[in-house]
Amino acid sequence: MKVDIVTLRNGERTTVAYDYRKHTDKERPMALDVLMQAQATALPDLAFRYGCRARNCGVCTININGRPRIACRARVREGDVLEPMATLPALSDLVVRRDGIARQLRGRLAAGQRTNDLNVEAPESYHALTACIECYACLDGCPMHARNFAGGLPADMPDDTPLPDAAAGYRWGNPFSLLKLQMLRLDPCVTEAGRAAALDAAVDLGLDACVGCKGCKCGVGIDLKGKVVGELLAAAGDRLPAQGAAD
Amino acid sequence: MTIDIQWRDYDVIVVGSGGAGSAAADAAAAEGAAVLVVSKDPIGCSDTKISEGNATVRATVTDDDTEQELSDNLRVSGADLPPPDITDAYAKDSRDAYDWYRAHGLRPKINETRGGPFARPLAKGGHTKARSVGHANAGVAFSHAGWDAVVDGRRIDYLEDAWLLDLVTEGADAAQRIVGVVVYHAAEGVLIAVRACAVVIAAGGLSTLFFPKTDTMRGNTGDGYAAAARAGADLVDMEQVQFLPFCLPSPPSYEGLLVGEPSTACFLGVLRDRHGKVILDGVYMRTRAECSAAIMRAVADGRGTENGGAYLDLTPNARPPRSGAYFMKFLETSMPSAYRTARQAYGKHQIQCREPWEVRPAAHYMMGGIRANADGASAGGDGAGQRADGLSGLFAAGQSMGGVFGANRLGSTALTENVVFGLRAGRAAARHAATSPRGGYDDAFLPVIDDHSRRFGQSGGEAPAALKSTLQAAAWDCIGPARTADSLDRMTRTITDLTQRSEAAAIPNHTVWNQAFIEFIELSNLLEVAGAVTAAARERDASLGGHVRLDRRQASFLAAPYSTVVSRMGHGSYTARRVARPRTPMARLFAIRLGEAWKQARNKALRLLPMNMVDGILEARYRAILGPAGKPAEIAPGSPEGAVAEAARQ
Repeated sequence: MKVDIVTLRNGERTTVAYDYRKHTDKERPMALDVLMQAQATALPDLAFRYGCRARNCGVCTININGRPRIACRARVREGDVLEPMATLPALSDLVVRRDGIARQLRGRLAAGQRTNDLNVEAPESYHALTACIECYACLDGCPMHARNFAGGLPADMPDDTPLPDAAAGYRWGNPFSLLKLQMLRLDPCVTEAGRAAALDAAVDLGLDACVGCKGCKCGVGIDLKGKVVGELLAAAGDRLPAQGAAD
Repeated sequence: MTIDIQWRDYDVIVVGSGGAGSAAADAAAAEGAAVLVVSKDPIGCSDTKISEGNATVRATVTDDDTEQELSDNLRVSGADLPPPDITDAYAKDSRDAYDWYRAHGLRPKINETRGGPFARPLAKGGHTKARSVGHANAGVAFSHAGWDAVVDGRRIDYLEDAWLLDLVTEGADAAQRIVGVVVYHAAEGVLIAVRACAVVIAAGGLSTLFFPKTDTMRGNTGDGYAAAARAGADLVDMEQVQFLPFCLPSPPSYEGLLVGEPSTACFLGVLRDRHGKVILDGVYMRTRAECSAAIMRAVADGRGTENGGAYLDLTPNARPPRSGAYFMKFLETSMPSAYRTARQAYGKHQIQCREPWEVRPAAHYMMGGIRANADGASAGGDGAGQRADGLSGLFAAGQSMGGVFGANRLGSTALTENVVFGLRAGRAAARHAATSPRGGYDDAFLPVIDDHSRRFGQSGGEAPAALKSTLQAAAWDCIGPARTADSLDRMTRTITDLTQRSEAAAIPNHTVWNQAFIEFIELSNLLEVAGAVTAAARERDASLGGHVRLDRRQASFLAAPYSTVVSRMGHGSYTARRVARPRTPMARLFAIRLGEAWKQARNKALRLLPMNMVDGILEARYRAILGPAGKPAEIAPGSPEGAVAEAARQ
């Protein structure tokens, strides 16, 4: 079964037509199986991330035919194209640099703004959000995240424009960051001040980009538009310009 | 080709960012230390994250759940290998450790009458009290808490995509101490020399040595054990790898993932070889090690299945007209994630248990690790290792730390253990750093830096990823779930051969995310831990807990307990010795043995009865297990209720 794997070394992209050898006729391999077999045979240096192989750790997200998929549980077909996620800067082959996302939340997660009584139950809406495995599939098509890259993707940035500094944390947010902030707003052990700060952070990260946006898609099925973005937009109310969507 | 070198200064370095690492970093920072977390995977992407999310919290259900009782439970389960002051520390801190997760956002159900987290009022096997707290979204909920602690931590800096290359020390013998680490930061393509007097290793286990026969994170390449051993620290109980017997041998996407435990094989499940001959009956009353040994023995005799396993035949459970449906209900609900995996991999037809399942063991947890005292400080010497006389400045927590679980791990204990010793190690490391001189030892870094920077652009005919696969296959055959004197010798020869060949590894010269360099580093670490496991396995001259010798008897429970301790002599070469441990009083051990013998006899008698009578008895038993809710208590992978015979038979 032929699958295209897009590799990247020293800034140079190459498409390798890899011929996956099925173990049985019936086998319907996942994208990760293809990458692992390629690394074990034709492409010994092939770089890609993975972790648990059971869709729990969120590490192995790649693009398949232009859409983000969790590689360990995404079946591939003849002619599919495997590439690094387009929404983050590629480092090597299918590996992208992830840390600019988490770092934008430094100092914004209510450390020290929790109450002492821990024996309070969280609402169902809170537990709905802890299902997030941080796979970053939600960055796809996000106009807020795109602001970090001149409104497009890292690969589309005009030549000579330096990429934003991931080590400092990206300036503009994304559905994952909004989810983490909304978790604070739903946590019964976070103080009123902590909740207000979480909303402030969401606005500062560019929540106005969500006004009029058609919504984002979660890699593990969390209702991001309804349970995260919608709630934050409602809470922010008048603080956002009416027409903020970047596209 | 040269790679750029950066220098940094911190008080405490924490290697790893799972439950143990995030707790250690938080505790060290709270003591006023400047902390750097070094994590090769994204923050929090650890075994904690992919776990079943059950935590041991003492006295959640009854007030008479004393510290002494919990400590005893851990030690008896571990065949008396764990030093008592380590299990005492665990018991003393379990509630605080759990509250650390809660302080960072973990939210359990609350038991309003008792004013604390809700635990099912059911003592799980090996535990004499009910004390296991479950959580929505399992381990992922725990990892959110640890993630917040690291990402938002005051005084905590962190690097992800950063591989620990080696610890740097100065001084010799008793005066030897940590002065820093060297790290490969793959995202920036630089080596970072970090000056610091205290390092907490919280870098997980070594299950990847057996890849793809494992259900854990890829990152478990033994980096922490290997670095500690290279720096001169002792490792303890390294032969004690927990294998789960019933995991998937195929298809590749599911290889190694768990489908059941001895308990879920229920009253009539048996193991068969490729010809259909029964190789183990009464599976549900067997230990994991017994099941694994039966499978591996069949494979060794050439009677294994196509993928090197055996058949777990559950059809006798499903067939009886009355109890069959109850069995299916139990199978579906007692381990929901394992059942889901089995359904996806075996398909709609096979999951009905109308034909046997092909299974093969897989590595799940490393019970051995860096030899440490109750504060996670490296321990050494010939005695019980109960003073900080190991490598000064080295601390360990989580799976990286040895000595907590000995020969067997109680269910739901790991998510508490990682924070108990994470917090202890973090605090101890911060105090150590505050009183230790830093700086002036840059020369000690230079050979370590040179040893790694010269690898970039190295030409040669070997691919590190391929050598790694060769090692993994050999480790499975030689030091996996079944071992012999001969297989241990073969492992030693393979380590020597692969260590030589790895010197000829081809590594391109690009510095940003160089996968060949990463594979080379992990291969080196895996070769080290393979050596350590082999040496410890040779010293443990009988089967015990996770260590199964096909050519030796089970260790007598009357024999004086001892731990194995290994020290590094050279590349992948280790010397082993024994350290005596105190034994649980005889009267107690006899009581446990008797209880188990009674249960075995009852099960044997059942199989002699006519089928329609058995069906009726089993129907009643299943109804009792399922309870009025029609749903049993969930069984955590690797826990004693997954193998009820184990608490009694180390």
